[in-house]
Amino acid sequence: MIGQVKKPIEEILDYLDGKKKIVIYGCGGCATVFHTGGEAEVNEMKDILIKNGKDVLAAIAPPFGEFTCYAPWSKKRMEGYKKQINDCDAVLMLSCGDGLQVVRDILDKEFGLVKAIYPATNPVGHMGGGPSLFREKCIQCGECELGKMAGICPMTQCAKGLLNGPCGGTRKDGKCEVNPDNDCAWVLIYKRLKELGELDKMREILPAKDWSKTQRPRELEVEPLSLE
Amino acid sequence: MVESFKKVLEKDNFIITAEIGPVKGTNTQGMANSINLLKDKVDALNVTDNQSAVMRYSSVGGCLLIKEQGGEPIFQMTCRDRNRLSIQGDLLFAYSRGIENVLCLTGDSLKMGDHPEAKPVYDIDSVQLIQLVRNLNSGKDLSGNDLDGEVDFCIGASATPSADPIEPQLIKFEKKLKAGIDFVQTQAVYDLDELKRFVDYSRNINRSVKILAGVVLLVSAGMAKWMNDNIPGIFVPQNLIDELVKMPKGEGLSKGIEIAGNLIKRIKDEKICDGVHIMAIGKEEKVPDILKAAGILTA
Repeated sequence: MIGQVKKPIEEILDYLDGKKKIVIYGCGGCATVFHTGGEAEVNEMKDILIKNGKDVLAAIAPPFGEFTCYAPWSKKRMEGYKKQINDCDAVLMLSCGDGLQVVRDILDKEFGLVKAIYPATNPVGHMGGGPSLFREKCIQCGECELGKMAGICPMTQCAKGLLNGPCGGTRKDGKCEVNPDNDCAWVLIYKRLKELGELDKMREILPAKDWSKTQRPRELEVEPLSLE
Repeated sequence: MVESFKKVLEKDNFIITAEIGPVKGTNTQGMANSINLLKDKVDALNVTDNQSAVMRYSSVGGCLLIKEQGGEPIFQMTCRDRNRLSIQGDLLFAYSRGIENVLCLTGDSLKMGDHPEAKPVYDIDSVQLIQLVRNLNSGKDLSGNDLDGEVDFCIGASATPSADPIEPQLIKFEKKLKAGIDFVQTQAVYDLDELKRFVDYSRNINRSVKILAGVVLLVSAGMAKWMNDNIPGIFVPQNLIDELVKMPKGEGLSKGIEIAGNLIKRIKDEKICDGVHIMAIGKEEKVPDILKAAGILTA
C-alpha cells in the first residue's frame, strides 16, 4: 500500500485560494486505510471547505476496495459526477499521487477537461503491515534480492541500503546507528540465514546493483482484468 | 616517508599510519602544518572523506597536498557521496596525480553530519568498491570498458574488531578479503584480546593482508564515555576511563597520549598485528608525542 499522511490544511487552502467551486475525491484503497481519504476524511474535508467559504459541488468517497488509482474504476465513478466536475474550479484529491495523476489523465484525455487538481495528502512510501503499524518493506528495485536475504530486504531495512553485509555502525544490541529504534537489517538477515542453515548465501559477494531497472517512469502493459 | 606504501607493506617492519582531517574551508595552512610535521614520521597519511558526514575540503585535495609536500597519501573513499561514475573518475584523477593508495569505506550516515537533508548515494557498497578498484587495476571500468593508461592502486579496507554481534561483521570482512585488499585499518580497538582474535580470523583466510590496528587518541574521560555511548564498534574499557578521570582538569590529553603510546608499544612488542593507524582527531600535532610514548620515536 501507499503510506500517506494528511497535508496541513493551510497548504490545501493556499492551493484553493481564488477557487470557489470544489469537487473532493477520496480513495477506497490505501487512503481509506491510512485515514487520509476515506469516507470520514472526505466528509471532514467537505465541512472544512464549507467553513472556509467554498462551495463543495461533490464529495466523492468511493467504497472500501475501490482504488482511485485504478483507472477503470475511477473513470466509472467520475462519470456519475460529470456535471459537478465540469462546473468546478478545482478538484481536491484525498489520495496518493498515483490516484491524483490517474484522475488528471482521465479528466484531460477522456473527458477533455483541463481542471486545476490539488493533493490533500503527502505519500510517504510503499508500506505493508497494519492494522495500525505500517512500515516500508520494499523499494521496488526491479530485481528482487529477497531469495538471498532470508526474506528481509536490506535495500529497504538498512539505512544505507547495503547489499553485502553491515556497515561498522551496528550497535551493541543489534540496533542501527542511524536510528537506534531500528534493528540492523544485516543482524536480522544473519540470524535468519543462520537459523535456515543458509549462511553461505551471506558469504556470496553481490555485484553492484543494476539500478537502471529503477529508471523512472517505469510502466507495465498487462491483460485488462475482467470486472464483470 | 618517500617510499611507496605498497613497498612498505611488502616489508616486515612495524607499519605506522596517521590521518589528516581536511579543513572546512580553503585555509589549508593547518593541514599543511600537520602534513609537514608527520610526513617523515609515519609510513602514510590517510585523508578522511567528509568525515562524520561533515562537509569539508575534499579527500583527494588533501591527498594532493600530501604529495606536494613529499608525503605518501592514503585516499579515503566513501560510497555515501558519489555514484560509481564519480568514484571511478575521482580514482583515475587521483592515480594520475601519484595518489596510489585507497581506503574503501561505506561512509558514515548523513544523519551524523552537518547536511542531514542531503540525498545519500550508496550506489555501491564497500565490498563492491573494492571490486571496482580491482577492476580499474586490471585496466577495466566497472562496465568492462578498457581504460587508457595504467592504474595500480594499493587497496585498503576497514574492519570493526570490537563489534557486537561480531559474526555479521566478520562475514562482511571475509568478503572484503575475497574481493582483494592489500591492507586493513581497523576501527579503534582498546581490547587487545579482541584484536588478536580478529587478526587470527583474518590471517586464517589470507596471511598476506597487512593489519593496522586503529588507535584513537583519547583526550578526556568525557570523550571516552561519549565514544562508548555513540560510536558503535568502539569500546573503551572502564579501567582506561578511570585513569582519565583521575587526571587533574586539562591534563587528560597527556594521559591519553600515554594510553595510546602503551597500546602501540604492546601491539608492536607482542607482534599482535602488522602496525597501527593513529587517529588523533583534531590533535594531529600530538602524533609525534604518541610515537615517543610508544618508544618508536626518540626525542
